[in-house]
Amino acid sequence: MSFYPLLIVLLLMSAVGYWFGSKKALGAVRKSTNFITPRPHQFGLYVVIWALVPPILLGAIWILMQVTPLQMEVGLSQQVNRVLFPVIVLLAAGGGLYFSLQKIGPDLKVRKTIEGLVYIVLILASIISILTTIGIVLSLLFETIQFFKKVPMSEFFFGLTWSPQTALRADQVGSSGAFGSIPLFTGTLLITCIAMCVAVPLGLLSAIYMTEYASQRFRSVVKPMLEILAGIPTVVYGFFAALTVGVFFRDIGDAIGIDIVSESALAAGVVMGMMIIPFVSSLSDDIIMAVPQSLRDGSYGLGATKSETVRNVILPAALPGIVGAVLLAVSRAIGETMIVVMAAGFAANLTANPLEAVTTVTVQIVGLLVGDQEFDSAKTLAAFALALVLFIVTLCLNVIALLVVRKYREKYD
Amino acid sequence: MNVQIQAEKSANAGMDVAEEFVIETRNVDVFYGDNHAIKGVSLNIPKHQVTALIGPSGCGKSTYLRCLNRMNDTIEGCRVEGEILLDGLDIYASGVDEVLLRARVGMVFQKPNPFPKSIYDNVAYGPRIHGLAANKDELDDIVLTSLERAGLLKEVQDRLHSMGTGLSGGQQQRLCIARALAVRPEIILMDEPCSALDPIATAKVEELIDELKENYTIIIVTHSMQQAARVSQKTAFFHLGDVVESGPTEKVFTSPEDERTQGYITGRFG
Ligand SMILES: Nc1ncnc2c1ncn2[C@@H]1O[C@H](COP(=O)(O)OP(=O)(O)OP(=O)(O)O)[C@@H](O)[C@H]1O
Ligand SMILES: [Mg+2]
Repeated sequence: MSFYPLLIVLLLMSAVGYWFGSKKALGAVRKSTNFITPRPHQFGLYVVIWALVPPILLGAIWILMQVTPLQMEVGLSQQVNRVLFPVIVLLAAGGGLYFSLQKIGPDLKVRKTIEGLVYIVLILASIISILTTIGIVLSLLFETIQFFKKVPMSEFFFGLTWSPQTALRADQVGSSGAFGSIPLFTGTLLITCIAMCVAVPLGLLSAIYMTEYASQRFRSVVKPMLEILAGIPTVVYGFFAALTVGVFFRDIGDAIGIDIVSESALAAGVVMGMMIIPFVSSLSDDIIMAVPQSLRDGSYGLGATKSETVRNVILPAALPGIVGAVLLAVSRAIGETMIVVMAAGFAANLTANPLEAVTTVTVQIVGLLVGDQEFDSAKTLAAFALALVLFIVTLCLNVIALLVVRKYREKYD
Repeated sequence: MNVQIQAEKSANAGMDVAEEFVIETRNVDVFYGDNHAIKGVSLNIPKHQVTALIGPSGCGKSTYLRCLNRMNDTIEGCRVEGEILLDGLDIYASGVDEVLLRARVGMVFQKPNPFPKSIYDNVAYGPRIHGLAANKDELDDIVLTSLERAGLLKEVQDRLHSMGTGLSGGQQQRLCIARALAVRPEIILMDEPCSALDPIATAKVEELIDELKENYTIIIVTHSMQQAARVSQKTAFFHLGDVVESGPTEKVFTSPEDERTQGYITGRFG
C-alpha cells in the first residue's frame, strides 16, 4: 500500500473511532452515578488519540531506522519494507482503537489523557526549536573545524587581505586564496556605526516625541505607521540604497568636489540606519512608557519643564533599557544582509573612510556560497567560519541586551 | 496631643481676626472631556494655615488640588474654567508661566515618588533646575536645611549619596516633602500624603505638617477624619464635585450645618 491510501485509511479509522467512542460514552455516562463526567466528544477525542498516536510513533521509528545507520543492521529488502510498513501501522491503529473503545466507562479519566497529550505536544514543539538551533550551531562548528584544517587560524583572525578566489586548476596563478577576515569585520563595523549614528538619535528622539509630547490622536495615527515601516522587506531598502541614495551621495560628492563611490559605506549605512529607526523607536517607546507617571508628576510638580523632565528624570531612568535596545539594534545591523549585498559591494577594502566601498561579513558569506561550489573547498568552508563568528558576536550582544533590559524591568515591577 | 489641640485653638482664635487668603477660587469648573468633575467650586485658602479637603472617593478633591498648581495641564482633555487667584493674580490668565507657578506652589503626592537618584540629588533637583544656588556650598546648604525641616536629616546624614529609592516608605515621603521644600514654595499641596504610610510614619509627617504651617500654607487631601481634625485649621467637605461645606475644622467636625457632612463624618466614626 502506498502512502496516501494508508493515510486515508488511518483517518477513516479514527473518524469511525470518534463516532463509536462518543456513542458508547453517551450510554456509559447516562448510567454513571458521578456528578460531573467528561462530555461525549471528549471520549471521542480519546479514541482518536489512541487510534493515531501509536501508528504515528511506530511509523516514525520505522522510518528513522531506514534512514539512519541502523539500516545496515536491520537490512530488510525494499520488497519486504513495502508490505511490512503498512501492516505494522494499521495493526497499531487497530490495536489502539480496540483498546480505547474497551476502556470507555464512567470512571475513565479522559480529561487527564487529553491534558497529558496537550502537554507533550507543547513540550515537543519547544524541544524541536531548541534542537534545531543546537543542530545549526553544531554544523557550523563542524564545518568551521574543517576550514581551520585548511587555513590557519592566525591567518583568518589576523590576516589583512581577503581574496578567497582559489584556483580551479593547479597551474593557475594565485592558486591559494587569502582568508584574512579583518577587512570584513572592519567593514561591518564601519557600516554598523554609520547605521547607529542614523538610527539611535532619530529613533530615540522620535520615541521621546511620541511618548512625552505627541497628543493621543497623533500617537494613534503615527505609531502604526512607524510599525509599517518596520515591515518593509529589506530588499526594498536595498533597492533604495543602491539606486537612489548611493547615486544621490555620489552626485553631492561631485557637486562639492569630493570623490564618493556610488557603492559607498555611507549610503549602505544610512539606509540600514533608516531600516532600524522603527526598531529603535518602538523599543525605546515601550521603555520610556514604562517609566512611572509618578516620576513625571514629581518633576513637573517641582516646576521642571518637559524637556528638563525628559533630560533629568526620564532618560536617566530609562537609560539601561535604552542601552539594551541599542545593543539589540546593533546586532540586527551586523546580521543584516540584503541592504549591504545590494548597496555595499564586494570589494574588501581595509579602510575607515565612509566614502569608499567596503564589504561586510554577510555580503561575503553570500558571495562565497552563490554559484557552483565544491563543498569542501576552503572557499566554501570559509563561509561557515564567518557565519560562526557572526553568530557568536550577535548572540553575545543579544544576551547582554536582554540581561540589561530585564534588570531594568525588575526595578519598577 | 494636648499641645496640638491648644495650638489649633489658638489658631482658630486668631482666625476671628481679619483673615488673609493666599488663594481665592471663584466658580471653578473642571471637565475631563465630557465629565464635569468640579462644579462651580468657590473656596478661599487662609495663609499659613492647614486646610483639609475631605469627601468621598471620586468627589474631585485631587482634581481641585491639581488646579491650584496647574498640574491638570499635563492631563490630556482636561479643561479648567473659573477664576483661581494666587495673591490676587489669576494663575490661568494667559502669559502666566505654569512652570514658575509650580515652583511657588509645591506638591507632595499620594505615593512617595523619589527619583531614582541619590538622596542628595533628589533634594537638589529643584534648586538645580531653578538655579537657586550659586555654588556647591549654597546647594549643600539648601539640601541640608530642607532635609532638616522635613525631619529627615538625622536619619540620612551619613548616607546622603545612597539611592533615595532605598529608603523606607515613610522616609521616602519625607524626602519628597524635603524635595518640595527645597524650591522654597509658598504653598504646599499634599494629596493623601500618608495613605501609603504606617501609623508611626504618619505621626511623623503630621508633626511635620504642624511645624511647617509656621512658614508655609498647606492644603492637604485626606481620607482620615482623625487626621483632618488633628492637623487642619480649616476643612472643606467635597461631595460630587461641589464644596458642600467649609469652615473652621472644629466647627465642621462638631456642628456641621449640612446633613451630608454630618453623614460622612459620623459614618466614618461609626
Ligand atoms: N485623568 C483623568 N481623566 C479623566 N477623568 C478623571 C481623571 N482624573 C479624575 N477623573 C475623574 O474626575 C472625578 C474626580 O476625580 P478625583 O481624582 O479628583 O477624585 P478624588 O476626590 O481625588 O477621589 P479619591 O479620594 O479616590 O482620590 C472622577 O469622576 C474621576 O473619574
Ligand atoms: Mg484623589
